Amino acid sequence: MDNILSVLIFFPAIAGLLGFVVDKESARAYGITVAAIEFFLSLWLWFSFDATNAGMQYVEMIPLIPDFGVSYYLGVDGISLFIIVMAALMTLIGMMSMSITKNVKNMIITLLFLEMTMMGVFVALDAIIFYLFWELSLVPMLYIIGAWGGPLRVYASIKFFLYTFAGSLIMLVGMLFMAYVYHNLTGVWSFAITDWYALVLPVEYQLWLFAAFFFGFAIKVPMFPFHTWLPYAHGQAPTIGSVILAAVLLKMGTYGFVRFSLPMFPDASVMMITPIAILAIIMIIYTAMVAYAQKDIKQVIAYSSVSHMGIIMLGIFAMNAEGISGSVFQMLSHGIVSGALFMLVGVIYDRRHTKLMSEFGGLATVMPKYAVIFGIMLMASVGLPLTIGFVGEFLVLLGFYQISPIMTILAGTSIIIGAIYMLAVYKKTFFGPITNEANKTLKDLDRKETWSLIPLVLIVVWLGVYPKPILEPIDNSVKAMLVFMEEKAITQEAKDVIIVAKSTEGGI
Amino acid sequence: MLEPINVSLESLNLITLAPMLIAIAGGLIILVLDLINNKLDKSLYVMLTILMLVVDFGAVLGLNVNERGFFDVMLIDGISIISQLMIIVGSIIFIPLALTSKRFHEYSYPEFFALFLFMIAGFQFMVASDNLILIFVGLETASLSLYTLIALHNRSNSYEAAVKYFTMGALSAGFFAMGSAVVYALTGSVELYKVAEVLATRIDEPGLMIAIFGSSVLLLVTFSFKLSLFPFHTWAPDVYEGASAPLAGYMSVVPKVAAFVVAIRIFGMYIDLGVEWVRIMILLLAVLTMTLANLMALVQEDVKRMLAYSSISHAGFIMAALALDTTEGTVSIFLYYGLFMFTNLGAFAMLWISRHKNRRFNARYDHPYEKFAGFIHIMPIGAMIMGLFMLSLAGVPPFSIFWGKIYVMQAAVNSGYIWLAIVMGLNSAIAAYYYLKLIVYMFLKDPVKDVDTIYYNLSKPLMAVIGLATVATVGAIFYVQPLISYLYYMISASGY
Repeated sequence: MDNILSVLIFFPAIAGLLGFVVDKESARAYGITVAAIEFFLSLWLWFSFDATNAGMQYVEMIPLIPDFGVSYYLGVDGISLFIIVMAALMTLIGMMSMSITKNVKNMIITLLFLEMTMMGVFVALDAIIFYLFWELSLVPMLYIIGAWGGPLRVYASIKFFLYTFAGSLIMLVGMLFMAYVYHNLTGVWSFAITDWYALVLPVEYQLWLFAAFFFGFAIKVPMFPFHTWLPYAHGQAPTIGSVILAAVLLKMGTYGFVRFSLPMFPDASVMMITPIAILAIIMIIYTAMVAYAQKDIKQVIAYSSVSHMGIIMLGIFAMNAEGISGSVFQMLSHGIVSGALFMLVGVIYDRRHTKLMSEFGGLATVMPKYAVIFGIMLMASVGLPLTIGFVGEFLVLLGFYQISPIMTILAGTSIIIGAIYMLAVYKKTFFGPITNEANKTLKDLDRKETWSLIPLVLIVVWLGVYPKPILEPIDNSVKAMLVFMEEKAITQEAKDVIIVAKSTEGGI
Repeated sequence: MLEPINVSLESLNLITLAPMLIAIAGGLIILVLDLINNKLDKSLYVMLTILMLVVDFGAVLGLNVNERGFFDVMLIDGISIISQLMIIVGSIIFIPLALTSKRFHEYSYPEFFALFLFMIAGFQFMVASDNLILIFVGLETASLSLYTLIALHNRSNSYEAAVKYFTMGALSAGFFAMGSAVVYALTGSVELYKVAEVLATRIDEPGLMIAIFGSSVLLLVTFSFKLSLFPFHTWAPDVYEGASAPLAGYMSVVPKVAAFVVAIRIFGMYIDLGVEWVRIMILLLAVLTMTLANLMALVQEDVKRMLAYSSISHAGFIMAALALDTTEGTVSIFLYYGLFMFTNLGAFAMLWISRHKNRRFNARYDHPYEKFAGFIHIMPIGAMIMGLFMLSLAGVPPFSIFWGKIYVMQAAVNSGYIWLAIVMGLNSAIAAYYYLKLIVYMFLKDPVKDVDTIYYNLSKPLMAVIGLATVATVGAIFYVQPLISYLYYMISASGY
């Protein structure tokens, strides 16, 4: 199937449309089946993917508005491949574990449309098509947070929408300017990212364009100081919304940096290493401290998410193969681990309708299975060796060490602070005697919850022990990108910083 | 002794007048029919109007580009053809909205339809001439018909709207006459192409700049009234509120297209002459209009007033493209209105089908936000369609207005106005809030009253119109390419 990427995009969309016909009672089964088929399609993509080829594969190109240079242009490489698989997996698992009973059919249809937009963002190679799916992904999320969220849900959903919308409009101006520059130099209109890669821009242009794209991506990541929408969104969103938001939607921002900013503006990216690294370190340390101060388990995980996204940002701007490959890997691991943690919080919220740590204590005695899985995920989140979280974090720090040892040490404190707040959560919630009467009768994980969490546990351990099958294709594409960036860079400083030769093979 | 003047029929090129004459004849036929038999139903008149407009459409399509006719006062160039086509298409979508299931008495008068056709003829005269006097005649014909159409809605605030619009319109007509008089005094001509020739030779004369300045200011004020630009927009929300919903939607598109064509002809001339502050003033008006109208739309309590302010803001958005004075800028004006027409008429039609004779939700407003609370539970498909229109108006891709928006922004970037593109982007973000507000009411709130339906006014023809608007809004990505290439061809052929 050469057009598997189109199938990946339109299958959930068509399924969403047909879902209107499906009966309410069967909507859930329908959604899980569709998501499972989509997941198998993404696995098919993975297995038929040529890991030795670092370039774009399964490229599809249909001109849509040739006079304006917009075409339906898709492709996948090692960087986007696993994010696609992860998005399909998390949608499936999220749907399986979903405990929502109100308007299930609407939720299923919304999730299927959301899945379409996620697939679209990660396979689009045309800036306008990318933007189209990027903006469209806001609408289902707005509905999920606004319709099934907590008491402040309307505020949270509008804040989420407006923040991202405003940022991406500035990015749109950047895209239009990029197309204009391309038109000036070549006489042809084109929004194809691969065409844009070929442009060697003066440093001044690069800096302005970098800034325009930065607003779009940084709000989505969310980078400090644009992160304020995220705690609201997570705090109010239903479990499934938080899972998808943390696992996939945030990755759109970091993916955008890798796909757009780095290869298109290599000199500006190198010049921006220090400011962005400072922001990333503030993100890492400050939000980790804020996380420690939270009373609500979900808020702890929300802030820890921001903190981990800081590690990803740092790795991207390490400008070497370890750092960027580690970042992409960390995107996957953060997706799986934070998704799982949000699901785990959802489990206890369904039982007690509260997420406050003070309400709990001693849960390990009544819910042993729950405590074990929570413990594993928590360790992975902290970055314990032999879990998925360690690989990415280690590679990122290794990569950034070549840029600045001091900043790397500062960023490394995230592991320590992370361990402090996470273990504090674990201690307050699971250990000690049961103080609250209501907790004595809590049921352990039921079948549905167990079977949606076990695959994630297996992945966490598998990729923690043996990450090579995933790291290799990522590394290939990242190296190809770095070689290209080095060739393209016009300033000597940038060429010096972008290090290509080293490899991550044997890094673990 | 004076020479006798010989005029040959061929030199008149009467075919250039055919489209307007068809519309006028259509109006007269309707009046005569009423004279013969006054018990005819409105559906007959609606269908007759559509048929006359179809013939009109065909006549416009048959015109050759870049012709003059009728003592050279008629000018059939690319923009006059495309704007006439847009005016007719907009009217064909509008008029079936008369076929509501509830009875609104203005549609029982055949005069309504006759006036409607006369108004279209007026707009067509406006766009198909570069003679300031003929433009004025067209403008007044159309405006006077429009005032009457508004007043026919027969409620106290419709009269208020009509009188308000009339007063403002009279004022702007006065400004137009004075501006034209100054232009005539300067150049001895009211034909724009001759005016441009004379001004080009005299532009460096000392002391003349103040007169050119005066003429452009007077004309700019006229079109600011007609296009409802800040600070001449104050009539618009009240008039939209007083007019029936479809007429309000119609007013936000068709008269503005006509006014934009004249504005392109007049102010394009000034900018081409190198009168740079006309460009600066237009940019200033455009930026103020889109920003302030957006801010005012944020605090509205009525959906129709919100849509009125949003239309003002969209007009400001397009006005900025006028200041660019490039082919792309002009293409973007028509592209934007071509796409805006379907979505905005669709949104107003959605208000129209929810119209009730009594104000059931609020003593002051017909369409308060509360009316749409929990719409998704009452009428899921209606809520989805309205939501689509709102997202499209907010500029969310891939819906229609997004393509117009990026084309305008691209035109601004291409002319070096990157700050303008950024202002447009930020304004779109502000605007997203009030469109979202309606979506939030429809999808995320619970109904305030125990109502079974708010579609009091639904009928098959209305469903067809709304369906068409929905398809045009959702499927825009597939017809933007042919639309752009047609517009670009027509506009560059006429030298804009």
